[in-house]
Amino acid sequence: MKTGEIISNKLIQGSYFQVDFYAPEICRAARPGHFVHVQIANLTHRILRRPFSICDCSSDGALRVLYKCVGEGTTALSKLQPGTVCDLMGPLGNPFLAPAADEYPILVNGGYGAAATFMLTKESSNGGLMLLGARSASDLLLVNEYEAAGFEVRVATNDGTAGHQGLVTDLLQQVIQQETTRKWRFYACGPEPMLMAVASILQKNHLSGEISLDHLMCCGVGACFACVVKVKADTPEGWRYARSCKEGPVFNSEQLYLEK
Amino acid sequence: MADLTTKLGPVTLKNPVMTASGTFGYGFEYKDYYDLRKLGAVVVKGIAPFPSHGNPTPRVAEVTSGMLNAIGLQGPGVDKFLTGDEYMPFLRASGADVIVNIWGKTIEDYCEVAARLDADCAGITALEINISCPNIKEGGVAFGTDLNLAAKVLSSVRKATSLPLITKLSPNVTNIADFARCAVDCGSDMISLINTITGMAIDIKTRRPKIANLTGGLSGPAIKPIAIRMVYQVAQAVKVPIIGMGGIMNADDAIEFMLAGASAVAVGTAIFADPYAPLKVIDGINDYLEQHNCKSVAEIIGALRLS
Repeated sequence: MKTGEIISNKLIQGSYFQVDFYAPEICRAARPGHFVHVQIANLTHRILRRPFSICDCSSDGALRVLYKCVGEGTTALSKLQPGTVCDLMGPLGNPFLAPAADEYPILVNGGYGAAATFMLTKESSNGGLMLLGARSASDLLLVNEYEAAGFEVRVATNDGTAGHQGLVTDLLQQVIQQETTRKWRFYACGPEPMLMAVASILQKNHLSGEISLDHLMCCGVGACFACVVKVKADTPEGWRYARSCKEGPVFNSEQLYLEK
Repeated sequence: MADLTTKLGPVTLKNPVMTASGTFGYGFEYKDYYDLRKLGAVVVKGIAPFPSHGNPTPRVAEVTSGMLNAIGLQGPGVDKFLTGDEYMPFLRASGADVIVNIWGKTIEDYCEVAARLDADCAGITALEINISCPNIKEGGVAFGTDLNLAAKVLSSVRKATSLPLITKLSPNVTNIADFARCAVDCGSDMISLINTITGMAIDIKTRRPKIANLTGGLSGPAIKPIAIRMVYQVAQAVKVPIIGMGGIMNADDAIEFMLAGASAVAVGTAIFADPYAPLKVIDGINDYLEQHNCKSVAEIIGALRLS
């Protein structure tokens, strides 16, 4: 099993934290969209690992995870001090396909979904555009980092405290309607209802994109069938359950079976 | 090194530690972690004669010292299991000892899958009859909580195959020893227990059940004392070998099961926390045997002291 010693673990804003593990082996193998499955060291009476998107990997072996403190697992993680060693499985999952040399990446993210696509900024030779939605201005993450990496950022907030008041999918509709000669490639990560809306918009416009699902997981390697999601399939029902840890977390939007 | 060889009726395993059905996929998922031949046996996820979607999501919920699951036996069906690259052909090539867990909605389903595996049995060490899944509407635990139905399905499967048979019992009964005796009377060579215990959890914010199936099977360390008690009761009731499971996280837990009467053990939910857990249990059993001057596993089976 690989281990990751915590280099730093700090509050970045609101209830969002950023932890860096020293995990050079995972960093070398990680691609945008991969995740790590973390055994949180001080989490007693809880046995399951927690999956986190890999936000960034540095050449000196620092693996960055951005997380929101929402439950027992993330609360316990937020209290771990530098020097603590956690057991890590990874990199796991099916990563994003990097944009081709002539493609312009458009990222559609909700909340901390911005973390899952961040490594794509290193794969694009043409910059890119991130559409970021969040509840409020204080939930907008990594905006400066994306801009520093050469990406344009447009934001939407539910309460109107920053950018467009409304949903990130409104911004996506606008972008699709704009005339452009650029060759797009769409990527998305965020809460599941938002992702299903993104997939639906792309399907209706005969476009496709890569969607990273944030799903409850147990084993992380495809053994337990807990984290399944409906994908189109040649079955009497027209769908089958695919394991999001192994066949995903990144799926092509055309693969996803959307409930009517 | 103590002798870890474990005799289970007609079957001899290199060590007494298996993977519990449903927690290790089809072995393929863990092929990059270690050589599957190190395990006493790989017990695969339940196989039916037909492919099955399983239950709606969410399918799992974490609870104190355990988890609830209602996966609902999603699976490829026996045809794909016998021919697909990620299933039996892979396992055969791996050289692992393989136990195939089988289930169905009807008695005929159980017999059909048993007969199909019997006819293509290269690499299959035994079949484990699942009459204890609490999460499917038809079959499963319906057979495992009614002695008449259990007798019918078990004696029918016995006629459908000459492979060694393990009956996996449900803990969701009043007297588990009755079901163990029934299994032996119907020709089972071994008993495995326990499957998960039916449970439920509610999200107090949304007031909705935490799993879509409403109820699920509880596993993990929370259930171990119940499992130990049931293994002990079954060991008092029948003479066939017992495969004990239910919340084994480490070698100490496994040894407890063996002292209660289990000849072998299965590690399940612990694999989600640590894929290497079964191997650590094997090493830990060896260490215990050496420390206690035992030459073989057999010396601790049922070695509980009552006076």
